[in-house]
Amino acid sequence: MAQNDSNTKDMILSLNSIEVLYDSVLLAIKGVSVEVPRGGMVALLGSNGAGKSTTLKAISGLLKAERGKVSRGEIKFDGKLIGDILPQDRVALGICHVIEGRRVFDHLTPDENLEAAAPISMSRAKIKSEKERMYEYFPRLAERKSAQSGYLSGGEQQMLAIGRALMTQPRLLMLDEPSLGLAPFLVAEIFGIIQRINKEQGLSVLLVEQNAVAALEIVSHGYLIENGRVVMHDTAGALKENSDIQEFYLGGGEGKNFHEIKHYSRRKRWLS
Amino acid sequence: MDWIFLSELTVNGALTGLLYSLVAIGLVLIYKSSAVPNLAQGALTMTGAYVVLAFSHNLGWPLWVAIPLAAVIMFLLGMGIERVALRRLAGRPIVMILMMTMGIDIFLRGTTLAIWGGSSRSVNLGVSYDPFFLGDMLLSRIHIVGAAVAIALFVGFLLFFRTRLGIRLRAISDDYLASWSIGISVERGVGLSWGLASVVAVATGVIWGEVQGVDQSLSVLLLKGLTVAVLGGLDSIVGAIVAGIILGILESVGADFLDPFVGGGSRDLIVAAVLILTVMIRPHGLFGRHDIERV
Repeated sequence: MAQNDSNTKDMILSLNSIEVLYDSVLLAIKGVSVEVPRGGMVALLGSNGAGKSTTLKAISGLLKAERGKVSRGEIKFDGKLIGDILPQDRVALGICHVIEGRRVFDHLTPDENLEAAAPISMSRAKIKSEKERMYEYFPRLAERKSAQSGYLSGGEQQMLAIGRALMTQPRLLMLDEPSLGLAPFLVAEIFGIIQRINKEQGLSVLLVEQNAVAALEIVSHGYLIENGRVVMHDTAGALKENSDIQEFYLGGGEGKNFHEIKHYSRRKRWLS
Repeated sequence: MDWIFLSELTVNGALTGLLYSLVAIGLVLIYKSSAVPNLAQGALTMTGAYVVLAFSHNLGWPLWVAIPLAAVIMFLLGMGIERVALRRLAGRPIVMILMMTMGIDIFLRGTTLAIWGGSSRSVNLGVSYDPFFLGDMLLSRIHIVGAAVAIALFVGFLLFFRTRLGIRLRAISDDYLASWSIGISVERGVGLSWGLASVVAVATGVIWGEVQGVDQSLSVLLLKGLTVAVLGGLDSIVGAIVAGIILGILESVGADFLDPFVGGGSRDLIVAAVLILTVMIRPHGLFGRHDIERV
């Protein structure tokens, strides 16, 4: 396989045909290759159960908690192989994964949620200023910083989950379905903030979404994953124009059979 | 009605209750940092007492050396239990972890029985057995010491859970996966909570060893400790103290009223009633957290 070195250098993350096994038998993803350029924003699109979340868990190492493991392929972060590194050490390297379903610490206040995520080595003054930065991004959280997080609204919890992840000082932020169950205006607000942080801080973002309409508005590239494989990879603009994508993921297009999308897995394999 | 006798029963009951709180604090510590109810806390308490005795009696070292040394050893034992027995169970169903702590309980009781035998030994803490007079009330000195230790630990851990480390431990107990996702070492946090609970077990073991002697029956303290912890709410340090006082008073005053009718032994019935009624009426206890369900 021809690895183009000049090409991989400006990639903060590259997955090279990885396979994931659950419980040593169930093959959840079958040779996924994805690249995220430094400072870029990339989306993984696809339907339920396609393998998008599993791909993120392989990158963050959280597979371990679900008895899954990467059985083949390699994951490079910042040019370094990270397959054997513990999840907490990957966070220290600069990868943070906002897991699906928000999962804020219900019985802690938003303020404590943010504090829990600050690296151990971070000084008290820095923690304070970082928390202020999060409250500036998400003013709603500042209003409720002493409430019990379990009682925040869904949108506030998603903001808290993102703020909490940002406290770990990531260089790559991975978001799993941040728009799930949120009103469109909240999705726009949250995506707006992510875009702003991406521009201002150069934070690289890997976004998993079923809401392809919203996702393709903010990312530069997208990968379409079906049945544990990448079946399409293109710029956001081209994906938006693509008639199959329009039909199956953007809710437009007209009368095509779902089976026809499979020819992309042969025609448009990312690796070849 | 003899009011002096009644107030003496109440105060002594409250003091005894605070000694139960010592056991409950150990339970709460682990629950608050890993959401595991530790059924081995009674056996840990007994082991702590035996380790102190090993230094003070078998080796003849003074108690001010033996107790801190035992605390260090028990801290390592607690961390070791997490490393060997619990780490591989992280994320598994709670019932398996519960069974594991029960296994640890049996293992510790068997081991201490094999090493130190079944006969009762005393700690000789040097606290006088003469009663302490508060007005006209007779109080036990060792109970006062034990209650003071319980209050000190209570204040200490209340502050601890507000520190950065304490917040992390509470985060772990809320959600393992979310904790991993932001770089918290769940394994180390759980290990630390077991280490701390084992240190608390040394303090508890020394006090209770002085009260009733060191033998296998110390491990049965788990039942009182568990009742207090459940009544107070499994994750509440405040609850452990308040519930300890409540249970202690109920037990001593209630037994005084009931014993003439049932011919003695009503103390355990009262404890059982408290445990059963709490679980039926208020499963999260007086101060425990609810599972938050948002609609």
